[in-house]
Amino acid sequence: MSANGKPRSIISTDTFACVRCGLTVAAHAPDGARRNHCPSCLHSLHVLDRVEGGPSECRSRMNPISIAVLRTGDWMIIHRCSRCGELTSNPICGDDNQLILMRMAVRPLAQPPFPLEAFGDL
Amino acid sequence: MPRKNPGRVRPQQPKAVQRGERGDAFRCVGCRLDVPMDAPGTAHRNHCPHCLTSLHVDHRIPGDRRAGCRGPMAALSVTVRPDGEWLIIHHCQACGGLSANRIAGDDNALALLRIAVRPLSDSRLPVNALLAL
Repeated sequence: MSANGKPRSIISTDTFACVRCGLTVAAHAPDGARRNHCPSCLHSLHVLDRVEGGPSECRSRMNPISIAVLRTGDWMIIHRCSRCGELTSNPICGDDNQLILMRMAVRPLAQPPFPLEAFGDL
Repeated sequence: MPRKNPGRVRPQQPKAVQRGERGDAFRCVGCRLDVPMDAPGTAHRNHCPHCLTSLHVDHRIPGDRRAGCRGPMAALSVTVRPDGEWLIIHHCQACGGLSANRIAGDDNALALLRIAVRPLSDSRLPVNALLAL
Protein backbone atom coordinates (compact mmCIF):
# COMPACT_ATOMS: atom_id res chain seq x y z
CA MET A 1 0.00 0.00 0.00
CA SER A 2 1.29 3.44 -0.82
CA ALA A 3 1.05 6.52 1.38
CA ASN A 4 -2.32 7.73 0.12
CA GLY A 5 -4.02 4.40 0.83
CA LYS A 6 -4.34 3.23 -2.78
CA PRO A 7 -2.75 -0.10 -3.72
CA ARG A 8 0.61 0.42 -5.39
CA SER A 9 0.59 -0.15 -9.11
CA ILE A 10 2.07 -3.42 -10.32
CA ILE A 11 3.67 -1.63 -13.25
CA SER A 12 7.04 -0.24 -12.27
CA THR A 13 9.25 1.98 -14.38
CA ASP A 14 12.42 1.35 -12.34
CA THR A 15 15.40 0.32 -14.43
CA PHE A 16 19.05 -0.49 -13.83
CA ALA A 17 22.01 -0.79 -16.16
CA CYS A 18 23.81 -4.14 -16.17
CA VAL A 19 27.36 -3.87 -14.86
CA ARG A 20 28.74 -6.19 -17.50
CA CYS A 21 26.82 -5.76 -20.75
CA GLY A 22 25.37 -2.30 -20.08
CA LEU A 23 21.85 -3.36 -20.99
CA THR A 24 19.15 -1.21 -19.42
CA VAL A 25 16.90 -3.68 -17.62
CA ALA A 26 13.52 -3.19 -15.98
CA ALA A 27 13.99 -3.71 -12.24
CA HIS A 28 10.94 -5.95 -12.02
CA ALA A 29 10.51 -9.15 -13.94
CA PRO A 30 7.27 -9.82 -15.86
CA ASP A 31 5.93 -11.84 -12.93
CA GLY A 32 6.36 -8.86 -10.57
CA ALA A 33 9.38 -10.13 -8.62
CA ARG A 34 12.39 -7.87 -8.30
CA ARG A 35 15.28 -8.89 -10.52
CA ASN A 36 18.70 -9.60 -9.12
CA HIS A 37 20.56 -10.34 -12.33
CA CYS A 38 20.66 -9.18 -15.93
CA PRO A 39 18.43 -11.38 -18.12
CA SER A 40 20.82 -11.05 -21.04
CA CYS A 41 24.23 -11.94 -19.58
CA LEU A 42 23.03 -13.23 -16.16
CA HIS A 43 25.63 -11.17 -14.27
CA SER A 44 24.68 -9.62 -10.95
CA LEU A 45 25.94 -7.02 -8.48
CA HIS A 46 27.15 -7.82 -4.96
CA VAL A 47 24.81 -5.66 -2.89
CA LEU A 48 23.67 -8.10 -0.17
CA ASP A 49 25.98 -9.70 2.38
CA ARG A 50 24.81 -13.24 3.03
CA VAL A 51 27.13 -14.08 5.94
CA GLU A 52 26.54 -10.95 8.00
CA GLY A 53 23.12 -10.02 6.58
CA GLY A 54 22.16 -6.58 5.34
CA PRO A 55 23.79 -4.53 2.57
CA SER A 56 27.28 -5.36 1.36
CA GLU A 57 30.10 -2.85 0.93
CA CYS A 58 31.60 -4.81 -1.93
CA ARG A 59 29.34 -3.75 -4.84
CA SER A 60 31.36 -5.50 -7.50
CA ARG A 61 30.31 -7.79 -10.31
CA MET A 62 29.06 -11.29 -9.62
CA ASN A 63 29.66 -13.90 -12.32
CA PRO A 64 27.22 -16.76 -12.89
CA ILE A 65 29.17 -19.98 -12.32
CA SER A 66 26.68 -22.82 -12.24
CA ILE A 67 23.11 -24.05 -12.31
CA ALA A 68 21.59 -25.84 -9.35
CA VAL A 69 18.33 -27.76 -9.51
CA LEU A 70 16.32 -27.86 -6.31
CA ARG A 71 14.20 -30.81 -5.23
CA THR A 72 11.17 -28.92 -6.49
CA GLY A 73 12.68 -28.80 -9.98
CA ASP A 74 13.34 -25.05 -9.86
CA TRP A 75 16.58 -23.83 -11.35
CA MET A 76 18.88 -21.57 -9.36
CA ILE A 77 21.86 -19.60 -10.66
CA ILE A 78 24.94 -19.70 -8.42
CA HIS A 79 26.75 -16.35 -8.57
CA ARG A 80 30.29 -15.75 -7.34
CA CYS A 81 31.57 -12.26 -6.56
CA SER A 82 34.56 -11.44 -8.75
CA ARG A 83 36.18 -9.42 -5.94
CA CYS A 84 35.51 -11.13 -2.62
CA GLY A 85 34.49 -14.62 -3.76
CA GLU A 86 31.12 -14.68 -1.98
CA LEU A 87 28.60 -17.18 -3.34
CA THR A 88 24.87 -16.54 -3.70
CA SER A 89 22.03 -18.48 -5.27
CA ASN A 90 19.12 -16.83 -7.02
CA PRO A 91 16.11 -18.31 -8.81
CA ILE A 92 16.08 -17.97 -12.57
CA CYS A 93 13.60 -15.67 -14.24
CA GLY A 94 11.26 -16.47 -17.10
CA ASP A 95 13.02 -14.16 -19.55
CA ASP A 96 16.61 -15.16 -18.70
CA ASN A 97 18.87 -15.94 -21.64
CA GLN A 98 18.32 -19.66 -22.08
CA LEU A 99 21.39 -20.25 -24.20
CA ILE A 100 23.64 -18.97 -21.41
CA LEU A 101 21.70 -21.09 -18.92
CA MET A 102 22.25 -24.17 -21.06
CA ARG A 103 25.90 -23.30 -21.59
CA MET A 104 26.44 -23.23 -17.84
CA ALA A 105 24.51 -26.47 -17.40
CA VAL A 106 26.57 -28.44 -19.93
CA ARG A 107 29.96 -26.93 -19.10
CA PRO A 108 30.89 -29.57 -16.46
CA LEU A 109 30.10 -32.36 -18.91
CA ALA A 110 32.32 -30.79 -21.56
CA GLN A 111 35.37 -31.04 -19.26
CA PRO A 112 34.85 -34.21 -17.20
CA PRO A 113 37.62 -35.09 -14.71
CA PHE A 114 37.05 -38.80 -15.37
CA PRO A 115 36.23 -40.72 -18.57
CA LEU A 116 32.51 -40.81 -19.19
CA GLU A 117 32.73 -43.89 -21.44
CA ALA A 118 32.62 -46.20 -18.41
CA PHE A 119 29.13 -44.96 -17.53
CA GLY A 120 27.77 -46.44 -20.74
CA ASP A 121 28.42 -49.96 -19.36
CA LEU A 122 26.53 -49.34 -16.13
CA MET B 1 43.09 -40.56 -17.13
CA PRO B 2 45.42 -37.57 -17.51
CA ARG B 3 43.66 -34.37 -18.45
CA LYS B 4 44.35 -33.14 -21.96
CA ASN B 5 45.34 -29.61 -20.97
CA PRO B 6 46.54 -29.63 -17.36
CA GLY B 7 47.36 -25.90 -17.55
CA ARG B 8 49.09 -24.11 -14.73
CA VAL B 9 49.59 -26.26 -11.66
CA ARG B 10 48.88 -24.34 -8.49
CA PRO B 11 50.49 -25.89 -5.43
CA GLN B 12 48.22 -26.04 -2.40
CA GLN B 13 49.13 -24.30 0.82
CA PRO B 14 49.95 -26.71 3.63
CA LYS B 15 47.96 -26.24 6.80
CA ALA B 16 49.69 -23.62 8.93
CA VAL B 17 48.21 -24.59 12.27
CA GLN B 18 46.79 -27.92 13.30
CA ARG B 19 43.49 -27.08 14.96
CA GLY B 20 42.50 -29.48 17.70
CA GLU B 21 43.19 -33.17 17.67
CA ARG B 22 44.06 -34.24 14.16
CA GLY B 23 42.86 -37.79 13.77
CA ASP B 24 43.49 -39.98 10.78
CA ALA B 25 39.81 -40.41 9.94
CA PHE B 26 36.39 -38.81 10.41
CA ARG B 27 32.87 -40.11 10.17
CA CYS B 28 30.63 -38.61 7.49
CA VAL B 29 27.50 -36.87 8.79
CA GLY B 30 25.52 -37.93 5.75
CA CYS B 31 26.24 -41.63 5.25
CA ARG B 32 28.26 -42.49 8.43
CA LEU B 33 31.18 -43.76 6.36
CA ASP B 34 34.58 -43.67 8.08
CA VAL B 35 36.73 -41.53 5.79
CA PRO B 36 40.55 -41.31 5.99
CA MET B 37 41.89 -37.75 6.16
CA ASP B 38 44.40 -38.28 3.35
CA ALA B 39 42.84 -37.61 -0.03
CA PRO B 40 44.48 -38.14 -3.43
CA GLY B 41 44.91 -34.91 -5.36
CA THR B 42 44.19 -32.50 -2.53
CA ALA B 43 45.68 -31.45 0.79
CA HIS B 44 42.31 -30.62 2.32
CA ARG B 45 39.67 -33.29 2.62
CA ASN B 46 36.45 -31.36 3.14
CA HIS B 47 33.71 -33.69 2.00
CA CYS B 48 32.83 -37.36 2.08
CA PRO B 49 34.05 -39.16 -1.08
CA HIS B 50 31.04 -41.46 -1.04
CA CYS B 51 28.00 -39.15 -0.61
CA LEU B 52 29.82 -35.77 -1.10
CA THR B 53 28.30 -34.36 2.11
CA SER B 54 30.34 -31.77 3.99
CA LEU B 55 30.12 -30.05 7.38
CA HIS B 56 29.69 -26.29 7.86
CA VAL B 57 32.78 -25.44 9.91
CA ASP B 58 34.42 -22.59 7.96
CA HIS B 59 33.12 -19.02 8.09
CA ARG B 60 34.54 -16.82 5.33
CA ILE B 61 38.03 -18.14 4.69
CA PRO B 62 38.52 -21.86 3.91
CA GLY B 63 40.11 -23.54 6.90
CA ASP B 64 39.34 -20.82 9.45
CA ARG B 65 36.95 -23.14 11.42
CA ARG B 66 35.04 -20.10 12.69
CA ALA B 67 31.49 -21.04 11.71
CA GLY B 68 29.25 -21.69 14.69
CA CYS B 69 26.82 -23.61 12.53
CA ARG B 70 28.27 -27.13 12.11
CA GLY B 71 25.25 -28.16 10.04
CA PRO B 72 25.47 -30.78 7.30
CA MET B 73 26.17 -29.38 3.83
CA ALA B 74 24.68 -31.23 0.87
CA ALA B 75 26.20 -31.10 -2.61
CA LEU B 76 24.01 -28.71 -4.60
CA SER B 77 25.70 -28.37 -7.97
CA VAL B 78 28.95 -28.68 -9.88
CA THR B 79 30.92 -25.89 -11.49
CA VAL B 80 34.11 -25.77 -13.55
CA ARG B 81 37.10 -23.52 -13.14
CA PRO B 82 38.62 -22.05 -16.31
CA ASP B 83 41.43 -24.64 -16.04
CA GLY B 84 38.90 -27.49 -16.22
CA GLU B 85 38.86 -28.42 -12.55
CA TRP B 86 35.50 -29.33 -11.04
CA LEU B 87 34.20 -27.70 -7.87
CA ILE B 88 31.26 -28.89 -5.79
CA ILE B 89 28.90 -26.18 -4.51
CA HIS B 90 27.83 -27.18 -1.03
CA HIS B 91 24.63 -25.84 0.52
CA CYS B 92 24.26 -25.80 4.31
CA GLN B 93 21.06 -27.52 5.38
CA ALA B 94 20.95 -25.59 8.66
CA CYS B 95 21.72 -21.97 7.71
CA GLY B 96 21.55 -21.92 3.91
CA GLY B 97 25.19 -20.91 3.38
CA LEU B 98 27.07 -21.85 0.23
CA SER B 99 30.67 -22.89 -0.34
CA ALA B 100 32.71 -24.14 -3.27
CA ASN B 101 35.13 -27.03 -2.78
CA ARG B 102 37.52 -28.82 -5.15
CA ILE B 103 36.72 -32.43 -5.87
CA ALA B 104 39.17 -35.07 -4.67
CA GLY B 105 40.60 -37.94 -6.66
CA ASP B 106 38.55 -40.60 -4.87
CA ASP B 107 35.17 -38.85 -5.05
CA ASN B 108 32.24 -40.95 -6.17
CA ALA B 109 32.11 -40.40 -9.93
CA LEU B 110 28.51 -41.55 -10.17
CA ALA B 111 27.38 -39.09 -7.50
CA LEU B 112 29.27 -36.26 -9.23
CA LEU B 113 27.83 -37.09 -12.63
CA ARG B 114 24.34 -37.34 -11.20
CA ILE B 115 24.59 -33.76 -9.94
CA ALA B 116 26.11 -32.57 -13.20
CA VAL B 117 23.36 -33.99 -15.43
CA ARG B 118 20.51 -32.92 -13.16
CA PRO B 119 19.80 -29.67 -15.11
CA LEU B 120 19.69 -31.63 -18.37
CA SER B 121 17.33 -34.29 -17.09
CA ASP B 122 14.26 -32.05 -16.81
CA SER B 123 12.68 -31.36 -20.17
CA ARG B 124 11.49 -27.86 -19.43
CA LEU B 125 12.11 -24.64 -21.28
CA PRO B 126 15.91 -24.27 -21.51
CA VAL B 127 16.46 -27.74 -22.96
CA ASN B 128 13.73 -27.14 -25.49
CA ALA B 129 15.35 -23.85 -26.46
CA LEU B 130 18.57 -25.66 -27.31
CA LEU B 131 16.78 -28.34 -29.30
CA ALA B 132 14.92 -25.67 -31.26
CA LEU B 133 18.16 -24.26 -32.71
